[in-house]
Amino acid sequence: MKETIHVPNIGDFEAVDVIEVLVSVGDEIALDTPLLTLESDKAALEVPSTLAGKVVEVLVKVGDQVGEGHAICVVDVAAETASAAPTPDAPAAAPAAAAPTPPPSAPVAAPMPPTPPTLTTGVPVSAPAKPLTRDEAPAGTTAHASPAVRQFARELGVEVALVPPSGPKGRILKEDVQAYVKKRMAQPEAAAGSLGLPAAPSVDFAKFGEVVSRPLSRIRLKSAANLHRNWLLATMVTQFDEADITELEAFRKVQDNLAKQQGRRVSILPFVVKAVAHALRLFPDFNSSLDETGQAQIFKQYINIGVAVDTPNGLVVPVVRGADAKGVLEIADELALLSARAREGKSLLDDFQGGTFTISSLGGIGGTAFTPIVNVPEVAILGVSRAVTKPVFAGDAFVPRLMLPLSLTYDHRVIDGALGARFAAHLSKTLGDMRQLIL
Amino acid sequence: MSTQTTLDTQLVVIGAGPGGYTAAFRAADLGLNTMLVERYPSLGGVCLNVGCIPSKALLHATGIADEVSALGELGIWEPSARPQINLDGLRTWKDGVVKRLGGGIQQLAKQRKVTVLTGAARFVSRNELEIVGETTQRLRFKHAVVAAGSSAATIPNLPDDPRIIDSTGALALTDVPKRMLVIGGGIIGLEMATVYHALGSAITVVEMLDSLVPGCDADLVRPLQQRLRKTYEGIYLSTRVREVRPTPEGLEVFFEGDKAPASAVYDKVLVAVGRRPNGHKLNLAAAGVAVNEAGYVPVDRFQRTNIDHIYAVGDITSQPMLAHKAAAEGRVAAEVIAGQRSALDALVIPSVAYTTPEIAWVGLSETAAKSKDMDIRVGKFPFVASGRALTMGNTDGFTKIVIDNATQRIVGAGIVGSHAGELIAELALAIELGADAEDVALTIHPHPSLSESVALAAAVLEGTITDLYLPRRK
Repeated sequence: MKETIHVPNIGDFEAVDVIEVLVSVGDEIALDTPLLTLESDKAALEVPSTLAGKVVEVLVKVGDQVGEGHAICVVDVAAETASAAPTPDAPAAAPAAAAPTPPPSAPVAAPMPPTPPTLTTGVPVSAPAKPLTRDEAPAGTTAHASPAVRQFARELGVEVALVPPSGPKGRILKEDVQAYVKKRMAQPEAAAGSLGLPAAPSVDFAKFGEVVSRPLSRIRLKSAANLHRNWLLATMVTQFDEADITELEAFRKVQDNLAKQQGRRVSILPFVVKAVAHALRLFPDFNSSLDETGQAQIFKQYINIGVAVDTPNGLVVPVVRGADAKGVLEIADELALLSARAREGKSLLDDFQGGTFTISSLGGIGGTAFTPIVNVPEVAILGVSRAVTKPVFAGDAFVPRLMLPLSLTYDHRVIDGALGARFAAHLSKTLGDMRQLIL
Repeated sequence: MSTQTTLDTQLVVIGAGPGGYTAAFRAADLGLNTMLVERYPSLGGVCLNVGCIPSKALLHATGIADEVSALGELGIWEPSARPQINLDGLRTWKDGVVKRLGGGIQQLAKQRKVTVLTGAARFVSRNELEIVGETTQRLRFKHAVVAAGSSAATIPNLPDDPRIIDSTGALALTDVPKRMLVIGGGIIGLEMATVYHALGSAITVVEMLDSLVPGCDADLVRPLQQRLRKTYEGIYLSTRVREVRPTPEGLEVFFEGDKAPASAVYDKVLVAVGRRPNGHKLNLAAAGVAVNEAGYVPVDRFQRTNIDHIYAVGDITSQPMLAHKAAAEGRVAAEVIAGQRSALDALVIPSVAYTTPEIAWVGLSETAAKSKDMDIRVGKFPFVASGRALTMGNTDGFTKIVIDNATQRIVGAGIVGSHAGELIAELALAIELGADAEDVALTIHPHPSLSESVALAAAVLEGTITDLYLPRRK
């Protein structure tokens, strides 16, 4: 029996170029054997056979323009099936070009085109090997919801197991599904998870030389995730300034020498903490947070300053609580204790919680300035670099002064540029003359 | 071939059983142009024509005769008062029931403008069927639902003899054999055994596995088994039929197995060893639809086969081969084709054996739960403590509920006794709704009723039962 195979519905194309004819007279073809390659301005696609048998006539050639219904070839299907067609005993081998797609989040609405042509990139997927009895089949859900609620959730595309229940005994109600959808809809788009960021290119580094792969430490993984989140969430601006700490340094040295006799040290950092705590009282915006809706600013009536500490495992940020009420020596002692605990990996969870502002000091290492990343939901962070003696023009001559570089990053959603500059200037002034603090 | 007509349709449904007609009618109601192909002139499939419906008609009528006898033995009337069954009358009435229901389906198809084509369907391509009936027609379709069901399975090496019948032959009710052997102790075999026993046949049941109604908890089967042991000629478990030798006097049957009896001669042999899916009978390969070795057409929970626009429902897709499962799947297939976000996510499918006593179960069996090492508890309420069962003169049976100890939710149930098939529906609903034993125990049930046994089994689990005296109380 001879049958003609026609071009199926290929979308809204009237005349598509035939760029390849894949069968010739005498070929044995099976169901889904590619017959033609067509190329439109959008895509190249293969037209699969809808019949099995022997090709007796080919009715198209390369360069022809075809559309739906155009005859492709004549097939003798009498000699057909058994040999050429997929046998029922080997379902896995069936060339199931149009494989089942994932659950119909968008079920194909009737009418659909018969035998959709497969894109040349289409991956054939084999059929499930055995029938599932219903007991084995993945049950729709194990969530505590009635069939009607499960159906309702499915219509809205909601995974019912994720819906927080409000009914008795943890039952998920229809209202819960509605509330869940509303909540998800109200979430700001940026917070909705994936931002569609492009993936980093995958490079085979070993191609260019020897490589070693090491898993990241737990602290590193955690801080990487947090830093990336902060980078994406806050709208950051960095303000640079310098503080003249010539006199402060002289005073510090005296204190440090005294302290040494008691087995303690006093660095410049506790003074910076003290000065910042004081500035935060005058500039409460820097001691605030945005609430999670982004609609309100929360002013914290306590001043807890986190100080970034370098440990063998990575960066941690212990917190000095109530820093505004503590003296410099008290702060120095506390910092020493917190840092020691962090370096020995013996920190208490409490050590890291409740910060309202962060200071990151790289002064011991070097550098002239850097742009620290705000520790969201805090709204500002102060970077401190190495103090250097610089010539400063003092009225009629250059004089050598010890200058401490300050890098203040703030969240521009909450803090204006002028305010940022004022805070930095105030800090600079305070560090320049710590007597300000007792006024 | 050139003169054959070619028809076009949006949707073709192959098979007019409960799965097929449900799919066709639901699709038509959702606005799809639908055709229904059936190889037999009457609609309704196995269930309606040679399955559930005629068997239940026979079981009902013969069951009344049995009940009359039972009450006679209690001295309410003379034991001889048992109704004399008129075989022709019984057959005519049963056929009438079948015909009426079949006509009803025909009518429903007409009202929905679903075209019914009579003939055997065979796929010729991914979008075309050949239908061989009085004429041969071609049918081009956009979507197809394969609801072609299953056929009675058989055992190897059986001779060709009219005295060897399957369930269809048994339902035809041509005569009442004096001695009948039923091969297969599953639901179908035991239901037909019940009918023929009531009609006066001496029944022997032979089952390959070690229990009757395989797959059902042993305690649910026990009351049935005890009763059949008393009233049937023989029940042989773990026994196979090696050979059936036709003789003029009857069919001589040879058994094998550790407890196999000596050969015996029967007037009729009913083969009821299960059903096989019809997946290999439709040339599905021409459409690229995967069929596995056993003949099942695998589907996902949207009832889709491996070919996107071809769906399958009912016996042909999977176990259990039950009409109510097929109908649920038919509805899902139609809705998915119509673009709705439908899916089969029922948690449980109830099963019923319409034997005397009746057995019904749903969800996780006690046996299955134990084999999975689940932490469960079981509550049982015996019919002997039910006022309603006593007033019905039948206290054989009990209701049991299985709960998950972690959540207290009902995960399974089983009932043996009168009307078990009606009572089980409440527990299917309880499981779908995620009810726990407390919910059922606190629901007021009518008194006196057999349905009370459901609430009382739940009360046993809760430790609040007053109709029994049990050590564990709350």
